[in-house]
Amino acid sequence: MTLHRNINRLIAENKPSEQNKVSAQIEFRSVTKMYGEVCAVKELSLAVRRGEFLTILGPSGSGKTTALMMLAGFTAPTSGDILIAGKSVAAVPSYRRDQGIVFQGYALFPHLTVHRNLEFPLEMRGMKAAERAIQVDRMLERVHLKGFGGRMPSQLSGGQQQRVALSRALIADPPLLLLDEPLGALDRNLREQMQVEIKSLHREFGKTTICVTHDQEEALTLSDRIVVMRAGEIEQIDTPEALYDRPATRFAAEFLGEANFLEPPGFQAESDVAPPLGTVAMLRPERICVAERGAPRRVDADQRQFVCGIVEDMIYAGPLRKYQVRAGDSVVIVREHVAADQQIFRPGEEVRLNWLRSDVRFVAA
Amino acid sequence: MKTLREFGRMPIALTGPALAVLLIVFGIPIVQLFLISFNAPAFSIANYEAFFGPPANVRVLLQTIEISVVATAICLLIAYPTAYLIAAASKRLRMALIVLVLVPYLTSGLVRTYAWIVILGDGGLINNLLLDHGLISSPRPLIYNRMAVYIGMVHIMLPMMILPLVSVMMGIDKSLMSAARSMGARPSTAFWRVFFPLSMPGVRSGCLLVFVICLGFYITPAALGGLGDAMLSTFIASQVRSSFDMGRLAASAFVLLTVAIVMLAIVGLDLSGTSRRTVQPSLKSRHSLSPLFAMMKRFVGEFFIPYRAKRWMAQLYRAGGDSRWLQLVGVTFLVLVMCYLLFPELLVVIMSFSAGKYLEFPPSGFSLQWYRSFFGNPAWYAAAWTSTQVGVMVAILSTIVGTLAAVGLNRTLPHLRSFLTMVMLAPITFPVIIVGIATYLGLVKLGLLGSMTGIVLAHTIGAIGYVVVIVSASLANFDPQLEQAAMSMRAGPLQTFIRVTLPLIRPGIIGGAVFAFLHSFDEVVITSLVAGISMRTLPLKMWEDIRHQIDPTIAAVATLLILLPLFILMILFVTGWRSTLGLQRARPATAA
Repeated sequence: MTLHRNINRLIAENKPSEQNKVSAQIEFRSVTKMYGEVCAVKELSLAVRRGEFLTILGPSGSGKTTALMMLAGFTAPTSGDILIAGKSVAAVPSYRRDQGIVFQGYALFPHLTVHRNLEFPLEMRGMKAAERAIQVDRMLERVHLKGFGGRMPSQLSGGQQQRVALSRALIADPPLLLLDEPLGALDRNLREQMQVEIKSLHREFGKTTICVTHDQEEALTLSDRIVVMRAGEIEQIDTPEALYDRPATRFAAEFLGEANFLEPPGFQAESDVAPPLGTVAMLRPERICVAERGAPRRVDADQRQFVCGIVEDMIYAGPLRKYQVRAGDSVVIVREHVAADQQIFRPGEEVRLNWLRSDVRFVAA
Repeated sequence: MKTLREFGRMPIALTGPALAVLLIVFGIPIVQLFLISFNAPAFSIANYEAFFGPPANVRVLLQTIEISVVATAICLLIAYPTAYLIAAASKRLRMALIVLVLVPYLTSGLVRTYAWIVILGDGGLINNLLLDHGLISSPRPLIYNRMAVYIGMVHIMLPMMILPLVSVMMGIDKSLMSAARSMGARPSTAFWRVFFPLSMPGVRSGCLLVFVICLGFYITPAALGGLGDAMLSTFIASQVRSSFDMGRLAASAFVLLTVAIVMLAIVGLDLSGTSRRTVQPSLKSRHSLSPLFAMMKRFVGEFFIPYRAKRWMAQLYRAGGDSRWLQLVGVTFLVLVMCYLLFPELLVVIMSFSAGKYLEFPPSGFSLQWYRSFFGNPAWYAAAWTSTQVGVMVAILSTIVGTLAAVGLNRTLPHLRSFLTMVMLAPITFPVIIVGIATYLGLVKLGLLGSMTGIVLAHTIGAIGYVVVIVSASLANFDPQLEQAAMSMRAGPLQTFIRVTLPLIRPGIIGGAVFAFLHSFDEVVITSLVAGISMRTLPLKMWEDIRHQIDPTIAAVATLLILLPLFILMILFVTGWRSTLGLQRARPATAA
């Protein structure tokens, strides 16, 4: 009898998240956050699987940081509910939520040494000093900072500070890792190194990770799934590949990578297919081929669309060559990989652009 | 119970203790004072009619405003170029100059007024020197006139004008001036069109500060001015001593307060208007003497723009003044201002070691006789001991209460924060005589008049203001993300505060405690009203003695009062304040 009731209750408790099954570790249920009249996050619903690396991507003011701060417990939602491991955390203060956070400016305690910084979360969990020292040393070794324990944070380089911040978030083994613009303060080379480092740490520790960023490259390289946010609402959720290849909206297409929009009034393709109502044809710059105006037609010509134009600008960027081609009223961006026996077009030359009909995507305008 | 706990969790509750002390000792009494001035509950304006009746009273009121305006204007004229030169100096020189300005700022106004009595008095330094050299046959009336009042007031207020100006000027991005010059602006044009408008916030806050304090000046005009130079504070103080008719007294106090608030509003509005005007160049020519002349000047100036624009690169990294002559003028000016600020104090220190029977300069020999006389007199050292006890208690009480308040204010909404900060600063922004009378009233109600507890409370209401300001400043530099970081690592609110917040704002708290102590140790006006007959603090005894006789022992006391803040600052500097400050400075680099 009792058993029966328990099972019933279990079923009832799990019902709302049934479609995500037990694997959903974090769930936003129509969460809204208002700052006075301004709506920072609007009816956000989102489920994150255990062990998943999810990136929230969006321009500043899109509500991504607010969403993260609500998950961390630093701001309370105006309405809606946030669940961690199936339990509402509305009444749980931030210091009782088990999570590691890497802050935008790292927030390393400037008055404590690296060792004491790493020790802090362990100390708060009541671990004995001897054991703490072992853990800290192991962690420092893992992130290649052995021997740096006695330094103050101000004596470290940006990359080293970043690694200390990451280790401090991970050392107490919380089930959840939150990253707030983790690589924003680093220069380009270091950023690429740290992306690799974060990726490997994620593989090794397998933490459910939520990362907030406005850097598309960071989002593409790190994530299992990307949430594109715009003005407090989710624009699209998908894997990096799907998001890049099949963006749902014009905003998503533009925010993640470069995009050409083939819009009817200014743009007349030789053989055009009218896009469905309310959508616009989108083409990634690297899908377009450049050829001489009088070049012989290719074999697969019946599968291609052709447009003539004049080269306005050519930019050489290492492995890539970028053309800006004027076709009628529109400007088309073309990206070509640099190859040995490639024909180079100069500004003013007439060219014919062509692409596979199947590479054109229709996105919501 | 639950609502109580909810309230306890709200940061605003942290301001509770500070507000309670302020309300009981100062807030409620000042409301009562207001009601008394209107003869509540009968409500009549008889007291105000009585104030504005005699023409002499109105004259005192106008005179108070006149003296304050003139003193503020003189301060600004001297302080602006001084601050400019300090801000333009090299880093080390700048630090040294700021310390030189801080030293008189931290010294009690009473001591500095005393120094001017010694210099300007009939038997004082200047008259003695002139008599000795036979330049005059009888002492010149240098003291007890308007001139002496201005000399003393400007001397005391100058640091309060220089310091906000320097801080604002140091915050002005130097590349803006370079940018203006790269666009062809003459150095003077760059100054007037770029630097000057940007320095207006400093001018504004400096002027407001100096003006309001001048309005409430009591010690200096009473000691250096003649009978015709009475200011409203002196007038109120004499009313206190002679009649103690509360209604009249309250009316005078509120007239003074109203003048302060009205003038603040006018000055505040006027200055903000100026800074807005400079943004619109089209309106600027209207203020030139002759629009035609200005236009011609601009027209001729056009020809030189390309030339200047080419030359700016060469001039960009050259120090402030281009010509030797200008540099010489600048250095001379700075030296003169520093002498004006520091010489009187130095003089008192030197004379306190003199061997003669009277104060003399230069001293005829070295002796410690006046220090012996100080420590040999129980009245003096008892007063010193009382001051020390009061100061320590004030420092402890106001630091605890003020730090809590500052933390609470830091976490509340901006509107509420600025309002509550204003409330907490009232005891140090209101004319001091009004604070004194209100506190007197409050302590009478509490039955603490003439007790040490009473004096501690009277000093604490002002000291809280200093602690709140200084701790708030260090909290403003504090990165709230550090607290969030601690919380995310399972540190509760109390642990977060003790382990993270407190160590990082410690320099501010120590600074606040020092200021609280010095405020208490130097306070004389409020103390003179609430000390009763038996309690004597060091400055109070000194003030009474100055008025009755010029005893060289006072020079020894004054020297001790001058050296005390220097001594405390030095100890702080040596014992780690420097290292903690260095740590705070290193933090922005961490965040970058």
